[in-house]
Amino acid sequence: MDAILALPWFDFTVSGLVLGSIYALMAVGLALIFGVANLINFAHGAVFTVGAYIGWTCAVALGLPLWASVLLVALGGAAVGALIEVIAIRPLNRQSRIAPLLATIGVGLILDQTVHMIFGANPRPLPVAMPAWRLTIGSGSVGPIDITIFVTGVIAAAVLYGFLFHTKLGMAVRATAQDDDAAKQMGVNIHAVNMAVFAIASALGAIAGLLVGIYYNAIDPNTSFQIMLKGMVAIVIGGMANVPGAIGGGLILGLIESYGIALFGASYRNLFAFSVLLVMLLVKPNGIFARGRERQAEPMTGTFVTQSKPIRLPGWLLVLAVIVAALVPFAGKPYVTQVMTNALLYALAGISLTLIAGTVGLISIGHAALLAIGAYASALLTIAGLPVAIGLVVAAAVTALVGTALAYPAFRLRGHYVAIGTLAIGEIVALVILNWTSVTNGSLGVYGIPPLEIFGIDFFSTTPAYWLVLGLVVVFALLQTRLLSSHLGRTWRAIREDTVAAETYGVSSNYYKGLAFGFAGFTAGLAGAITAHQFSYINFDTFNLLTSVLLLTIVILGGLGNVAGAILAAILVAGLPEVFRALAEYRMLFYGVALLLLIRFRPQGLLGSG
Amino acid sequence: MISGALLTARGITRRFGGITAVDGVDLSVREGEFLSVIGPNGAGKTTLFNLISGQDRMDAGRVTLDGRDITNLAPRRMAEIGVARTFQHGRVFGNLSVMDNVLIGCHTRLKAARPRMPVIAPVVEILRALIRPASVKAEEAAMRAEVREILATFGDRLTPRLDQPTYSLSYANRRRVEIARALALHPRILILDEPTAGMNESETAEMQGIIADLKAEGRTILLIEHKLDMVMRLSDRVMAMDNGKVISEGTPAMVRNDPKVIEAYLGHSTIGGDEPAEASLMPEAGLQTAEG
Amino acid sequence: MTFPVLTRRALAGLALAGALAAALPAGAETSGDSVTIGVSGPLTGPQAQYGELWKQGFDLALKKINADGGIDGQPLQYVFEDSQNDPRQSIAIAQKFISDPSIVVEVGDFSSTASMAASPLYQRGGLVQFGFTNSHPDFTKTGDYMWSSSISQSQEQQVMADYAVNRLGLKKIAVLHLNTDWGTTAKNIFIEEAKQRGAEVVATEGYLPDEKDFRATLTRIKAANPDGILLESYYSDGALVVRQIRELGIDLPIVAVGSVYSPDFLKIAGDAANGVHTVAYFTPVSPRPEVQTFIKDFTTAYSKEPNNFNAMAYDTMNILAAVMRQYGTTREDIKSGLGQISGISSVLFPKVSFDPEIRRVMGLEPTDLIVENGQFQLYQ
Repeated sequence: MDAILALPWFDFTVSGLVLGSIYALMAVGLALIFGVANLINFAHGAVFTVGAYIGWTCAVALGLPLWASVLLVALGGAAVGALIEVIAIRPLNRQSRIAPLLATIGVGLILDQTVHMIFGANPRPLPVAMPAWRLTIGSGSVGPIDITIFVTGVIAAAVLYGFLFHTKLGMAVRATAQDDDAAKQMGVNIHAVNMAVFAIASALGAIAGLLVGIYYNAIDPNTSFQIMLKGMVAIVIGGMANVPGAIGGGLILGLIESYGIALFGASYRNLFAFSVLLVMLLVKPNGIFARGRERQAEPMTGTFVTQSKPIRLPGWLLVLAVIVAALVPFAGKPYVTQVMTNALLYALAGISLTLIAGTVGLISIGHAALLAIGAYASALLTIAGLPVAIGLVVAAAVTALVGTALAYPAFRLRGHYVAIGTLAIGEIVALVILNWTSVTNGSLGVYGIPPLEIFGIDFFSTTPAYWLVLGLVVVFALLQTRLLSSHLGRTWRAIREDTVAAETYGVSSNYYKGLAFGFAGFTAGLAGAITAHQFSYINFDTFNLLTSVLLLTIVILGGLGNVAGAILAAILVAGLPEVFRALAEYRMLFYGVALLLLIRFRPQGLLGSG
Repeated sequence: MISGALLTARGITRRFGGITAVDGVDLSVREGEFLSVIGPNGAGKTTLFNLISGQDRMDAGRVTLDGRDITNLAPRRMAEIGVARTFQHGRVFGNLSVMDNVLIGCHTRLKAARPRMPVIAPVVEILRALIRPASVKAEEAAMRAEVREILATFGDRLTPRLDQPTYSLSYANRRRVEIARALALHPRILILDEPTAGMNESETAEMQGIIADLKAEGRTILLIEHKLDMVMRLSDRVMAMDNGKVISEGTPAMVRNDPKVIEAYLGHSTIGGDEPAEASLMPEAGLQTAEG
Repeated sequence: MTFPVLTRRALAGLALAGALAAALPAGAETSGDSVTIGVSGPLTGPQAQYGELWKQGFDLALKKINADGGIDGQPLQYVFEDSQNDPRQSIAIAQKFISDPSIVVEVGDFSSTASMAASPLYQRGGLVQFGFTNSHPDFTKTGDYMWSSSISQSQEQQVMADYAVNRLGLKKIAVLHLNTDWGTTAKNIFIEEAKQRGAEVVATEGYLPDEKDFRATLTRIKAANPDGILLESYYSDGALVVRQIRELGIDLPIVAVGSVYSPDFLKIAGDAANGVHTVAYFTPVSPRPEVQTFIKDFTTAYSKEPNNFNAMAYDTMNILAAVMRQYGTTREDIKSGLGQISGISSVLFPKVSFDPEIRRVMGLEPTDLIVENGQFQLYQ
């Protein structure tokens, strides 16, 4: 205890506030967009990056004075923001809540890849002549750029607040946020308003990128998602639509991370951030500044699934497809077989996610955690001596139990909050795996995982492994389809469509969500476990956020809830990039564009949602 | 506590910030009785129903059913003891078929498909859904047959659309599906919140007929309605609310002529300016002449 | 009755898939004459910067090799498949390379995760997997087709400990390390080596590769009262750390592992780099001609000075070319040749020979450096 008290808490506070003002600057833009357009702008991090590079171009390549660079960055950011609104958001109207989420992820990818292609991946410095003084506070110091970041955030929030609450245009913005139909009736040009909001928020985000780039003297195209996530945690703390609250949220997050590091060390930083996020979602979803027990808004009903009928594939076609699939190894191309094995493992994971996200309506961006749990469980058990066949089954069962328990906090969440909450849970699992060194070997990972061998039969060679995975995909697809046609199918869907109405008719939504996670957890755990034995080496990063996003894309591409769709989509998502290997540099760009097109033109997915 | 009452609610209160939406309301219904709650918009009627049926937590008050305390019981427990309700703007499961919607109403009555054992219930439920032993199959078939029967009481409105997703149905049909779903629960008490809201004359008349049939079956019914013609025809008793309080209670004739009630409607029906609205409590054509 | 429409569409889809599968290239596009190396590494994704550095090294080496007649008259080339450092892709690429007879040796992947997932395939397929950046202690254990010329961590950390403890006299060291398999192994070995030399590691902090802000971490380290800070970092994260150490007013001596040896480290760290101690495996003042040539040619070609990753990639091409010239260009030739080669020198290693037990190269000759006036200088 003495040791803890003896820590330099003042210094930690200062560093927390300095870091927090960066988060705050990001958060203000996110809060503005969420407040007006009711969506989380996953492209905001990419706008940050674009701003940094525009700033580099102005300040370093062109040698312009700082004020000119800031101005151009702001204008550039505003232009990008307006473009995002017009191209990615506006055409979607109000199809479904999931659409803007994926559309902004797609846009973010496109922006990041464009920056990468133009400037290369190597981090570069952003040297800008700054006054050299430093203010000594405690035993540390702050410099002009720290102050600038903080002051910019506060001024931006204050100006926006004044704008929103004390000007006519601001009122129009708020009116649109509350009810854009009514606003339209009143003569408000809601298109202009939305575009203006995105422009303002993105200008802020871009300036943040420039300032932070100067602060650290380094910019690179890979920071987008991380900074975006931190901004998101900040607005959850401050209140998702609360612009001035975003400042508080950012500062609080900075402090929490700082104190967390003070107490436990650097590798716990993100664990703290995401744990706080989760706690906030559960305890105070309206943010730390919200007052009292607010009236329950009419819960969103069926807002995540576009109304559509699933395409029914005739039985003979499915049988034919399975036969054709089984014959793939006979084409004599092990590379193709391997790609198909990868695809089918994605398909197995996709089947499990489509149950949760599609049938039950819990849009999860943390599904990779289930794969990781299954992988580690099987790896550790079989290294300890358990036969592989048993290890696989036990690992799947463990994933079902642990996964359901971990997901349970998210059951109480609705709408966007489910996505954010599952994202946080997924990250927490990965970080626990990283830090629980005694069990998981931490960053060193688990090596020497026994190959797939079941009752002495070799399943680790390319062809047998493929058949094993194909067999499992077929079995679980059939099992899940059978579940969907039972009372469980309609019960799950009812929960998705209207949880309140379902509860009113006796459906315990927590129990059935748990049931879904149990079955899906088993399936996903199995997929992860098999992957582990294939790879022979895994670490905390093998199943990461990118995997979760990829799985969600697969599920939406195939049609939410559609089992055959998930399999088809997995084959496309895993297979097409292989076809386009020659265009390696552009693969991620294509992926982002494809995502946008998919959401825009076929949001119900290839085979329709179920 | 009124003896012989099926449902009793006493002192129900709900506050939102500075506003008291429901203020110490008492309500009771006998078995087989038809009680309507009327009042201008914003009187607190739907809030009251939400509090009684568990959709919302009350700040004060007590509710009993069959003498058993059900205050603030979760909605799904309410369903298990036989409380079925419909919602003010109709809430069906849009992407589910008509059949599936009504089958959800049967949920509390599933015995074969839903094991009631501790700890391993989820696994057993999944296994039963996969294996489908004879008991499960029989139960499902029986439920489906019953759903068809219920739908048949709506004539040919719903039966031909059995497998269609309800989002593709007309508004009136969706509200009928809602009622069918409520009936599938085998309710002890049926709570209907503005079942004819937004319907035209002929649709309203049809719905009125259906509700009258339900009453004739001896069901206990709680109704919120604005169409006072219907209220007066169907109800055994009427309760009028305004500003969260009960302002009148009794037989339809008593309440209709209660000056407090008339004033509540008149006063509230003034839209801007000081012009009072038409001095009539029964805006629907036909009632004035019928009642004289 | 939606059957007919869908059946048609579905059939079209199947046909398309079939056509695609048939059209998938069986292997890389190569001319019958050249000798082809298959490279599996990150061209896109979070580690793409390292793939770029690899290519710079490869290309420079190949220019020279082919100007010198290639491999007995045959031009040497490489095919770079983007794995995004993802194990799923590295194993697909492994299948591709193994079944392509024109590929005679594989180079990469970048991280141990990606490489080791593919190792079993390369081992079974009989294709040498030359993971020149894979320093994970278990990498070469999968089989005798796994080889690496990566900087040996045990040797590297001995050098670090010598520098920090013996030369600089540090006794209470705080270690900041990348929380990856490389960084954690480095830290663990360093702690042992420091202890053996009579010093104590008073604090260790692991950070993730995308970490940018170290203020709180550094405050915590400062509170442990070290007399020096040791960095197990790569160049871009190392630069950030160094900058923030000085910004916080921490004046302690900093010793950084040799992977920071890069012009980008100096650029990003700015003035804060001055006074940082590190180690180089090749320096401009090295007497060895191959080092001189490399630095000169690289700077001419790319207008910047080379870093370790460039050098390792350059060396890899040269080592493989030497093996091929001496022992042949079949897959088995290369495998056995690696086990026998000796006497050639590279930028990093004065004498390249692979320890037959662990299939790695020993014999680095590091030079102690210090940054002065924005340049890496010898530390006398």
